[in-house]
Amino acid sequence: MNGLRNLVDRPWARWALGAVIAIILLVLPLSATEFTNQTITRIAVFAVAVLGLNIVMGYTGQVSLGHIFFVGVGAYCAIIPIRALWGGSIAEGAIVIGFALAIIIPGIVGLIVALAAVRLRGLALAMITIALPIIGVPIAKRFSDITGGNEGVSVRRLDYVASDGQTYKGNPFSAPAWSGLADDQWQYYLVMIIAAALFGLAFFLVRGKYGRAFAIVKANESVAASMGISPYRYKVLAFTIASMYGGAAGFLYIVALQYTSSETLSFGHSIELVIATIVGGAGSIVGSILGGAVYVLVPQITNAISPESTTVVQGIVILLVLFLLPGGLASLPRVLARRFRRARGGHNVDSSNSTEPAIENTENTKH
Amino acid sequence: MLLEVSGITAAYGSVQVIENVSLSVGEGAAVGILGANGAGKTTTLRAISGTVRVPSGTITFKGQDIRGKRPEEVAALGISHVPEGRGTLPNLTVEENLRVGAYLRKDRSGIETDIAFILELFPNLKRRFTSNGSALSGGEQQMMAIGRAFLAKPTLLVLDEPSLGLAPSTAKDVYAAISRLRLETGIAMLVVEQNANLAFSVVDTAVVLETGRSVLSGSTAELRGNDEIRRAYLGG
Amino acid sequence: MNSFGTFVQLVVDGLAQGSIYAALALAIVLVHQATGLINFAQGGMAVLGSYIGMTVGNLVVPVNLILGVLVGVIVAVAASFAIGAFIERFVMRRFQGGEEDTKVVATIGLLTLITGAIGMIWGFNFIPYPFFFNTSTSFTVAGIAISLWSLTTFLTIVALMAVLQLLFTKTKMGLGLRAVADNPGSSALSGIRVGRMLMVGWGLAAALGTIAGILLAAKAQLNPGNFDAILVYALAAVIIGGLSSPIGAVVAALGIAVLENLAGTFLPWIGHDLKIAVPFVLLFVILLLRPQGLFGRKSVVRV
Ligand SMILES: Nc1ncnc2c1ncn2[C@@H]1O[C@H](COP(=O)(O)OP(=O)(O)OP(=O)(O)O)[C@@H](O)[C@H]1O
Ligand SMILES: [Mg+2]
Repeated sequence: MNGLRNLVDRPWARWALGAVIAIILLVLPLSATEFTNQTITRIAVFAVAVLGLNIVMGYTGQVSLGHIFFVGVGAYCAIIPIRALWGGSIAEGAIVIGFALAIIIPGIVGLIVALAAVRLRGLALAMITIALPIIGVPIAKRFSDITGGNEGVSVRRLDYVASDGQTYKGNPFSAPAWSGLADDQWQYYLVMIIAAALFGLAFFLVRGKYGRAFAIVKANESVAASMGISPYRYKVLAFTIASMYGGAAGFLYIVALQYTSSETLSFGHSIELVIATIVGGAGSIVGSILGGAVYVLVPQITNAISPESTTVVQGIVILLVLFLLPGGLASLPRVLARRFRRARGGHNVDSSNSTEPAIENTENTKH
Repeated sequence: MLLEVSGITAAYGSVQVIENVSLSVGEGAAVGILGANGAGKTTTLRAISGTVRVPSGTITFKGQDIRGKRPEEVAALGISHVPEGRGTLPNLTVEENLRVGAYLRKDRSGIETDIAFILELFPNLKRRFTSNGSALSGGEQQMMAIGRAFLAKPTLLVLDEPSLGLAPSTAKDVYAAISRLRLETGIAMLVVEQNANLAFSVVDTAVVLETGRSVLSGSTAELRGNDEIRRAYLGG
Repeated sequence: MNSFGTFVQLVVDGLAQGSIYAALALAIVLVHQATGLINFAQGGMAVLGSYIGMTVGNLVVPVNLILGVLVGVIVAVAASFAIGAFIERFVMRRFQGGEEDTKVVATIGLLTLITGAIGMIWGFNFIPYPFFFNTSTSFTVAGIAISLWSLTTFLTIVALMAVLQLLFTKTKMGLGLRAVADNPGSSALSGIRVGRMLMVGWGLAAALGTIAGILLAAKAQLNPGNFDAILVYALAAVIIGGLSSPIGAVVAALGIAVLENLAGTFLPWIGHDLKIAVPFVLLFVILLLRPQGLFGRKSVVRV
């Protein structure tokens, strides 16, 4: 069993594991059911959303409770131009425009929000961002002529004029004939490719210069400032990047569902996204993927068992994870390995076997 | 013996900083603790008042085992600890700080008498009676902290470097007040002090700590006669 | 009605609505002062208390309305106090001294759990809350209609704040609570049982929130999501008024409610649905122009 532990630590083993998973993900949709493909596609969509939240929360330590707002805005920014322009003179170009807008507009909105909100430290940022979905929903409903309000907007059956001059109903995200794929497979690959690219970018971001700056800001803002790293600037940067990732997830949401409504950016979903991020593992790339899975699968499973219990189960799950596994699911292999090593009587450095709950910092608590 | 500490260890998290400390304080006695910075003086006091973990050794107070008791329980038994840094309650007024000291007492008239006594002992506090704790000078905060600890009507007063950060003349005043407190009330005292001359103005005996161990103890006269002690703590 | 009459009426209604925000804001400040964390579950706890009050009250209401409502309120307050204390002791205590974001997420988890539990037990429909009087009653003073509910709510919350103020400044318990909020380690040295004070602080906050919850439910009926938006208002009030200033938070809450009421009526494009954006647009402008916050106490909002 020690071998397993070593495996977890070896970089090549991790790359190999990654490669195996990638190949499975590549081949799987060709044989899996439509439902499975759609589920995995949605997991990828929300993994990107969680990844964005992780950049600001996990890596930079700024709690944002309104991240779903940017996903919702991104979805609208993608679907509205696609609906208006697709099948017209620019044809597929509409999708590219939708993609670009879904990143740019949430990015700008995020930048503005951040410029104001990030001036406040951690708690206050959480207090402000929790308002985003609560304000976002009525705004979306107000502009129902373009957002569709409660009913939402769909591009599943759009009119378009084909080369034969006839008008057909079509879906911008159905599989093109040349691909030989079914719609669910086509959407799966499209989402996967974009999500993989976004994860790759994030990987280099958090491992690079900016990632180190984020980590220092997270650890101690005064230290960061003394090193010439402006906490304000980097927090704004992290928040803005997170918003762009949220927007990109919104675009992917449209690819996967070709539909959105004000429900997408609701308060409840925003909370679920935060929970998914922590349960998956804050400040971890793998945790983001697991977070996407948590976001999609937990309601799916609880709904199947007993729909009324979904929210309760989520509440219990998050508290249990915070109690037992503060690093989230992503830390499970490490925690298990450590347990295992300790059980084997390796070096036992655990000296917390006293019964006294002493308050240790008598003099310097607060102030 | 009122307080008997023997062979204790103490640790912050998994870092053990006290290896073996023993000392005792008789009824109404005043004992000093001397030692270099980082020797473990503060930690010893914390061990007694229950604010740090004490994995082994024994601490008995009035014949009762108090090792492992929580700070509030230790306080209720009659040990009043003025912590290093004074433990000021910054947003409470001087009066409220003093009344917090008397939190466990029920004898209303006794409390008022004792407050009056403290204000007479420290006239500065009388002037700042309604100011917030945070608005006080370091010396005034020290006086308030001593007053607050006294208001608990303790059997044993534990003082951690009352002279810390004070001008020499203020430190002297504070020690004069401590002496008077002892003289007039007969409270037993355990006093940590860097400046042995100051400490010796109050205590009868002292213990010397070195890197987490008590290495020497004796009456102030004996210690004054010890060359090493003279060099290290008495300035010559 | 003339527009001055409308104005006065809006102000009065705003003050009533604002006192609900204020009560929750105050509860949040209370918990923050005692434990240094923001309890995002404060609204959820208030709603839970209200459901308990309704359920118990409804057992007695068939016998006597007034008595039933009264029993409901008392049980609700007592139950929320116990729930608040329990949550502090057995959930939040675990996270003391931990990272800030963990604590935030823990209270978010609590909110989810509580909302879910309410939905499971009582469902997600609106349920009428039995109250002392018909909450659409209003009376006319100098040609201006004043809602009885608004007046009752405002006066109740003002009275509660006065009681809290007395508790904090005139009682031993209050002294202990404030001492612990100020410096828990040092308070313990004076024999104050810190853990117990934290439980009392949470209990008081929960009880206060529940009274606001009942007042709201009396008018707007009960629903698990009743306080979602109000939490947001209360948080805005807390940011504007200052985390360490109960008075500031209350004033800000009242101000926000009056302002949004006026804006919702006199600026037609805002309307009822976008009222909630008003305090936040305001907050954003303040933060962009005056980073230190409205009252300029740098230390409060920043580090
Ligand atoms: N809260 C703490 N956490 C970890 N280590 C600590 C803590 N407080 C003190 N120490 C360590 O324990 C040792 C003893 O410290 P202690 O404060 O007891 O010394 P001291 O004799 O009171 O020194 P001084 O005269 O400087 O006050 C030191 O090495 C110190 O670094
Ligand atoms: Mg010391």
